[in-house]
Amino acid sequence: MSSSLRLLKLALPLVSEHGFTRTALANSVLHLPVPHAEPLSDSAVSALFGSGDRARKTLIHAWLDGGLESMSSTESVKDALHARLKYNEPVVSLLPEAFALLSAPESGVPPLDPLPMLKHSARIADEACHVSQDASLRLAWYTKRASLIGIYSAAELHQLTSPSTAPAFLDSLLATSNSIGSSLSEVLEFSSYVGRSWAGIIRSRGIF
Amino acid sequence: MRLSTTVRRAYSSAIYLNPSRAKDAAVCTTPTITHVQRQQLDSALRVDQAGEIAANYIYMGQMSVLGRNRALRPLIQEMWDQEKKHLEVMDKLQVQHRVRPTLLSDVAKVAGFGLGAVTALMGKEAAMACTEAVETVIGEHYDDQLKEMESLPSEHPSIPLLRDVIREFRDDELEHLDIAVDNDAQRAPAHALLSSIVGTGCKVAIELCKRI
Repeated sequence: MSSSLRLLKLALPLVSEHGFTRTALANSVLHLPVPHAEPLSDSAVSALFGSGDRARKTLIHAWLDGGLESMSSTESVKDALHARLKYNEPVVSLLPEAFALLSAPESGVPPLDPLPMLKHSARIADEACHVSQDASLRLAWYTKRASLIGIYSAAELHQLTSPSTAPAFLDSLLATSNSIGSSLSEVLEFSSYVGRSWAGIIRSRGIF
Repeated sequence: MRLSTTVRRAYSSAIYLNPSRAKDAAVCTTPTITHVQRQQLDSALRVDQAGEIAANYIYMGQMSVLGRNRALRPLIQEMWDQEKKHLEVMDKLQVQHRVRPTLLSDVAKVAGFGLGAVTALMGKEAAMACTEAVETVIGEHYDDQLKEMESLPSEHPSIPLLRDVIREFRDDELEHLDIAVDNDAQRAPAHALLSSIVGTGCKVAIELCKRI
């Protein structure tokens, strides 16, 4: 493992104390097996992780990767998403600024970049499908993930304002999604019966 | 005319169709590879899956027109059955390696069926010419993929298996090519033009499915 990756891993537990800051990265060396006497200098942090906010973004991305790992021990979509929300809990007050930093583009045009947040939710949805051994194919692969992206994003947004009710909110969203899914498949099945009936009637009339 | 030979080579892909082997590491885990390698594997398997979907529907289209031809029916059915097996294995590979499937799967179905049906309406030689052109492009495509896959790490059991499966599918497609040639593909009207159009269409489809 490269030294910067090792230090990133050591910086993650420091996020709850120092936030997603260059200070957390600098203090990571104090937690090495043979700790340094002093934190890294600012120039060392820049050399290892990037200058200015780039270093903070690197730390945020590493923390998000850790979030995916927290889902790996679960076996269902519900447990996976709950595990991911639980991973947010120690740093939930820091997340609005972290997400804003990810959404702020480097050049300033366009004013907001939605792709990082979409990618964040998409990775979580994909991981939830993977741990639950979902075998969706073709367009169902996309619809399943799109549904989970919507559910998780809504639950995470809810968590930012009301952390204690977020798990119950997630459960209600999952239940609603399941009932919508089963209703939709029933409608599609009924529609196919109606379609086949009409095809039979038209054929029997000798129109085609 | 030629039906399949009774002597069959060993099928590497059989492991994917054997429920008792479903928990083997070779069929249910994916290797840890670099980001670039992951992207290459992702686009390769996405294209392969899309290609097998299209191939299935090409044969479906051909069967819908030529299904009453007593000579051609068993031939087309056999090639179609092989493509169904290919698609089943590709679906398992997609799930195993966590590959994003193409958004163009429905387009592949419509285009495949249309191509199969239209060339079949032009005559049985044109249908065989279509098969010849498609299988030529697909055979070359699988060959190119085998060369790219040489850079993947062989330590993980899924990678040698993947190479064997691609090799097996390439050989199957080339066998279809030979069957098509043996069944008067080159006597099709405007054979060169038809092959060129179909071949170019396949290459464009491959590039689109790599990305979308």
